[in-house]
Amino acid sequence: MAAITEAVPVRPARPPRSIRSAALTTVLVLPASLWYIILLVLPLAIVVVMSFGLQGNHGSYAPGFTLDNYGSAFERLTPFTTSLWLSLAGTILCLLAALPIAYFIATRAGRRKSLFIVLLVVPFWTSFLIRTYAWLTILGPDGLGGFIGDSIGDPGFRILGTPAAVLLGVVYGYLPLMIFPIYVTLERMDRTLVEASKDLGAGRWSTFRQITLPIILPGLLTGSILVFIPLMGEYVIPAILGYGRVFLIGNQLVLQFLESRNWPEGAARAVVLILIMLVSVIFYLWFANRGRKTRDVSVI
Amino acid sequence: MTDQDLDQVIRRMAQTPLSRRGFMYAGGLSAAAAFLAACSSGGSSSPSAAATTSAAPTSAASEAPTASAAPSVAAVVVEKELFMYNWGDYVDPTNMKAFQQEFGVEKFTYDTFASNDEMMAKFQGGATGQWDISAPTANFVPAMRDQGFIQKLDLPHIPNAALIDDTFKKQWWDPTDEWQLPKDWGTTGITVRTKFVKEEVKTWKAFFEVAPKYTGRIVIVDSPDDVFVAPLKALGYSLNSVDPTELGQARELLLALAPHVLALDSDQYNTKIETGEAVLGLTWTGGILELRDKPATADVEYLIPDDGTVFWMDTWVVLADAPHPNAANAFLNFILEPHHQALETMTNQYASCSSAAKEFIDPKVTSDPALYVPADVQAKLEGQKDNSGSKLRASIYEEFKSKIGQA
Repeated sequence: MAAITEAVPVRPARPPRSIRSAALTTVLVLPASLWYIILLVLPLAIVVVMSFGLQGNHGSYAPGFTLDNYGSAFERLTPFTTSLWLSLAGTILCLLAALPIAYFIATRAGRRKSLFIVLLVVPFWTSFLIRTYAWLTILGPDGLGGFIGDSIGDPGFRILGTPAAVLLGVVYGYLPLMIFPIYVTLERMDRTLVEASKDLGAGRWSTFRQITLPIILPGLLTGSILVFIPLMGEYVIPAILGYGRVFLIGNQLVLQFLESRNWPEGAARAVVLILIMLVSVIFYLWFANRGRKTRDVSVI
Repeated sequence: MTDQDLDQVIRRMAQTPLSRRGFMYAGGLSAAAAFLAACSSGGSSSPSAAATTSAAPTSAASEAPTASAAPSVAAVVVEKELFMYNWGDYVDPTNMKAFQQEFGVEKFTYDTFASNDEMMAKFQGGATGQWDISAPTANFVPAMRDQGFIQKLDLPHIPNAALIDDTFKKQWWDPTDEWQLPKDWGTTGITVRTKFVKEEVKTWKAFFEVAPKYTGRIVIVDSPDDVFVAPLKALGYSLNSVDPTELGQARELLLALAPHVLALDSDQYNTKIETGEAVLGLTWTGGILELRDKPATADVEYLIPDDGTVFWMDTWVVLADAPHPNAANAFLNFILEPHHQALETMTNQYASCSSAAKEFIDPKVTSDPALYVPADVQAKLEGQKDNSGSKLRASIYEEFKSKIGQA
């Protein structure tokens, strides 16, 4: 939308053409704007309006104005803190796993590069839910969980239904979101810089720290945000692999909207979550960009 | 990918039939999506939809309803399509095909929901005109009626409605029997692997008492209405209680139970019992009863607790803005025919609400006390009310859920 307002004053000398170009811009931007308004702004507005409303007679929502929903949004914070810890741990583990993988594909895979990229994408052809169910079999009593239990002689040992299982599912599910941004920055990196660094006597570690890391930092940050934000809303993995023993804010929202049918209270909690995420992402970007002249880190 | 496709894929994958109320999580996903879609379309359920209520085709008045099914149904033109919104895998596929052939219905769309709550959320979000028939559990019928989501049944065109047993008529959810037709019914009870659990767990009270001995080996369905049954019945109260003192006592029992629970799972509870991961359960019958026929799990027992439990009934309703009302009537009449009912019962493993079907059902099924409950046990069952308005129940359930497995 910004492009429209800027396009007009730039060329005051030739008004007819700039009007035409402004019209053209409008037409071209229209689908994207509509998409943005209908699928993002409007639902968000509905959630905000709903968060001030009342619970209807049969659940759902009734028009009204109250702040009570926000009062109760700050009660029972355990699911929120659990989500926060899981998201932080999940993001860090994804980061640690993605970095070598992306590095390998970008620099060492040679002719098989495309093959590896395809292999990373292939799982997306299957529903996420089915892939999560597959982990039930892999980690279950007839799978890895039972095997480890037998090996250490503890029949009570299990992986499923523990935070570890949830964390594993999370890393599995979100890893590609971390690999791709890092891969892209590594791919575009000028490899001669590394050679130059080595020629000048820097060791592997200091080359990585002083050359590679600053260059791929935007990818790392983008990947972290792409993983962290959806993770805060995650509720499927804890329910399936966590056996419902890991209760996250996503599960709490589902409970409030569906089972309790208290849409306004659920909406208030969602709004609070959105605000917290917004503030933390802004802080994160500010922190990552501090001391830099250009802001080359953005969410996308 | 629709829920139904997904359903089938997973079904094949797991090689075990899914429970009727399975697919909680898949459902949750699609419900969230549907919720957004419904909101953004700006549609709201208009109460005026109820204006179509009892809009029976004019031909209905001219012809006297007869006891025999065929003539009155054949008199109206049945549309070539039928859209159904139902629990996953809840109509026998043979019946579906036979219905299509008999009435020339070329397109039978079967969409699924995973919980009553999800279905309700979809209608409250404004989904209208998408389906002809749905199958809510009875305690949801009044709310659907009051909000104008369903229409009165066109009973002259569903003569087989007369085959429903009196037990299931004139219930609180539909005193005049004109909004729903009973589909099937069942209970929520205690599942025990007797190989591992040596104590007799014949009551909810015993269930709570032995629970600490089987810590980490108890599975419970993730459904607030069903979970509240156990503590309230163990304490001797109504399972529909909203009394703060009674619920306070129930809360204590639930919170004491929570640390010992292995999983809160509406979807794979039968698998957990089958593998022996869980040896004690608060479950439905779906997916459990057939375990008894397998050698490895022949020790599975499903018990209807002596201190009473919930009797739930699923219903057929016609939606207020059904695009194909005649096909809907034809289907309801078709499915209520005794031999079709018998097939439904044998496939779904839930008891039919029509005794006329009994003679067509495998005697092994009809003699199963878990499905065809003896009269003295039936007397102890209590119908489920719509308790979704109780904030106390909601908050206790949330607290319980957040403490599962937490020592």
